[in-house]
Amino acid sequence: MAPTQKPVLEMINAAKAFGGVQALKGAELTLYAGEIHALLGENGAGKSTLLKALAGVHKIDSGTITLNGQAFEQGSTRASREQGIAVIYQEPSLFPDLTLAENVFVGRQLQKGKTVDWAGMEKEAKKLFEQLGVNLDPTIRARGLSIADQQIVEIAKALSIQATVIVMDEPTAALSSKEVDRLFKVARNLEAQNCAVVFVSHRLDEVFALCSRITVMRDGATVGTALTKDMTEAKVIKLMVGREISELYPKLEAKIGEVVLKVENLNLAGQFADINFEVRAGEIVGLAGLVGSGRSEVVRAIFGVDKYDKGTVTLNGKKLRAGNPSAHMVAGMALVPEDRRQQGLFMSSSIDKNSAVTMLKRLSKLFIIRQKDENKLATSWGKTLQLKYATGKDPVDRLSGGNQQKVVLAKWLATEPKLLIVDEPTRGIDVGTKSEVHRLLSQKAQEGMAIVMVSSELPEVMGMADRILVMREGRMVGEFDRNKATAEKIIAVATGASTK
Amino acid sequence: MKTLIQKSLRVREVPVFLGLVIVVLITGTANPAFFTLSGFQDITLGVAVVATLAVAQTLVIVMKHIDLSVGSTIGFSAFLIGDASSKGHGFWYCMALALALGLAVGAANGFMVAYLKLPSLVVTLATLYIVRGLFNEIAGGTTITEDMVPGPINFMGLNTFFGVPYLFIVAIVLMLIVGFVMKRIRSARDLYAIGSNLAAAELVGIPVARRVFLAFLATGAVSGLAGAVLLARFNTAAANSGNGLELSVVAACVVGGVAIAGGIGTVYGAVIGAILLQAITMALGALGVPQFWQLTVNGILLIAAISLDRYLSTRVKPTSIMGTN
Repeated sequence: MAPTQKPVLEMINAAKAFGGVQALKGAELTLYAGEIHALLGENGAGKSTLLKALAGVHKIDSGTITLNGQAFEQGSTRASREQGIAVIYQEPSLFPDLTLAENVFVGRQLQKGKTVDWAGMEKEAKKLFEQLGVNLDPTIRARGLSIADQQIVEIAKALSIQATVIVMDEPTAALSSKEVDRLFKVARNLEAQNCAVVFVSHRLDEVFALCSRITVMRDGATVGTALTKDMTEAKVIKLMVGREISELYPKLEAKIGEVVLKVENLNLAGQFADINFEVRAGEIVGLAGLVGSGRSEVVRAIFGVDKYDKGTVTLNGKKLRAGNPSAHMVAGMALVPEDRRQQGLFMSSSIDKNSAVTMLKRLSKLFIIRQKDENKLATSWGKTLQLKYATGKDPVDRLSGGNQQKVVLAKWLATEPKLLIVDEPTRGIDVGTKSEVHRLLSQKAQEGMAIVMVSSELPEVMGMADRILVMREGRMVGEFDRNKATAEKIIAVATGASTK
Repeated sequence: MKTLIQKSLRVREVPVFLGLVIVVLITGTANPAFFTLSGFQDITLGVAVVATLAVAQTLVIVMKHIDLSVGSTIGFSAFLIGDASSKGHGFWYCMALALALGLAVGAANGFMVAYLKLPSLVVTLATLYIVRGLFNEIAGGTTITEDMVPGPINFMGLNTFFGVPYLFIVAIVLMLIVGFVMKRIRSARDLYAIGSNLAAAELVGIPVARRVFLAFLATGAVSGLAGAVLLARFNTAAANSGNGLELSVVAACVVGGVAIAGGIGTVYGAVIGAILLQAITMALGALGVPQFWQLTVNGILLIAAISLDRYLSTRVKPTSIMGTN
């Protein structure tokens, strides 16, 4: 990476628009052989569009891309691969019914004469896996492979085409810490083999541990590139959001009112037992605990999605029946689920429709839903939530992750619930959007909404909640007031470590 | 030894083949006539038409598509061959006609599915009706009789080669050729990739539309040529020839482990599936079970086949953090 070294890839002043949304303008990226380069930015900053331009999925409208000193041929995934760019997406795209060997060579299977050379492919694949330090059997089918192993197969594929640029889009999002360690080893291995590795992640600690240089994007433009050793987390965040986040957890003072939700003796065999708690108007109650401690199961039962064996759920003094979420909605309860792609949104429907879907009864006149009303409702929420989109007619899957989360919130806030349950409200979204979501929740609490927030992020729980309940193995094992809670105490209770 | 058993159980065709062996053994024990040469010839001759079509159908099913039009194509083609022959045209002229019909239907299906992106189930249901309609219009009340069947076709239908019916040999040779191609030729491997993960196939640059088009074209071509097999088998053809065959063909494929969800299955499985269904039909006859039970049994087999599939696919164990083994 000496300044005299020629870059492998150079993107200069790239611009790209989709309809009315300018996804890229002034995007720049310079990569050198033998580096791991972090690409950072908030959701919607243009990282994905930039990656897709390199992958050959999109063509940029203006600007230049140079690869190994030559103009890069754009707009074809095949051409991209042939020029030595391999992109590994967040959700790997393997062929579940094909063997790992064929997955590595798919579309360009090794041949002996004019026929496919299976033994040769298996041998080569095995060699590539070994080169990556991973013991995978090339003859098994890809179905059932863990995400971590699927990524290894994708990386082997990249090696087999002698890729000089390997792009990994949020590869660690779904990995355990052990798997992350293995991926880091593989990435450093690629670096040593003189590949240019692009690493996209929201986890700054990973970026600082792994990458030698950092490029930050904001609003479709590159706003800074520097050596990692010249950067700090605070500097990176400032570049990403374009402002200092003074108030990461904008907690507003709220008047605590009457009891809104009362949960008594809730039991579900094998899931949770003896759950008792209350939530008052204006109060945010945080539900902390390790993943798998039963938090999501409890809130699903409270919302009536899942049945429970014993116990009662009372909302505003009215007892609710189990297993009937629509009755719970009518009674004034709303749940923003954890997995927004699967449970929270109709991905191919429009933003308008998604925002209004919980309100269809109220919007319909004589059973007919008027698109105008749908649009009006969605637009007003879009404004409140500072949603970035071209038109309400666009399908939701065109939005970035953070904006999708906002649509889910809009959808449920539109019902004006008395009790709002949010499960991991800011998972996988960037700092800026996060603080907007927090501000919104806080504001709603101030207006008198009772909120239950499930979160695995301790700073979030401690920053937002008036009271923190801790679960472990399906039971409530601790309760802390806002001013008495410390991270150490919560972790101790959540993990069952002995407390002083 | 243990790994050999495990490996062979991983091969999808093994359970169907075992099923076939069991059916044959049980029936043969109950009724020894089943074990004779004529019993063997009954099954192999009876299965030739469905087996041939099942080989062709496998090409589209592995892509997660389906071609229902084959029943009309094969019937119409059988009629055209007999009709042209009766008007004095030679054998090769008749076969060229059959091929042309098959290519035309295949091209129409392929164009609509691959380039217009219409769902193959609906497209080929439509062409099933359209071809049958044209067939009825052209055939009217005419019936092809044995004297109108071209000599070579008539000969193939009636004779055997060392006891094996020629028509069965045709099906087996076709199976071996297509089986080799689907395992060893790159462009045919793409069909599995398309059926397994369409989005990924596009991402790795597989020319999806062209492959889908060509596969439908090939299926159409074989269905057209198979008109000769149908004509040879029955020595007659009329406006209702080949009616309902398409569903027997799909059933044979599914029973033989060609997953309707795409991406998996072989022509060997499809042919074994066809033989199994045929053997069961024969077995029920040999065991004196009333004929109408045959369809019920076929239905149960279909459900058993997809349930087994479902069971096997949910049972795949995920790999550990540090890889398999």
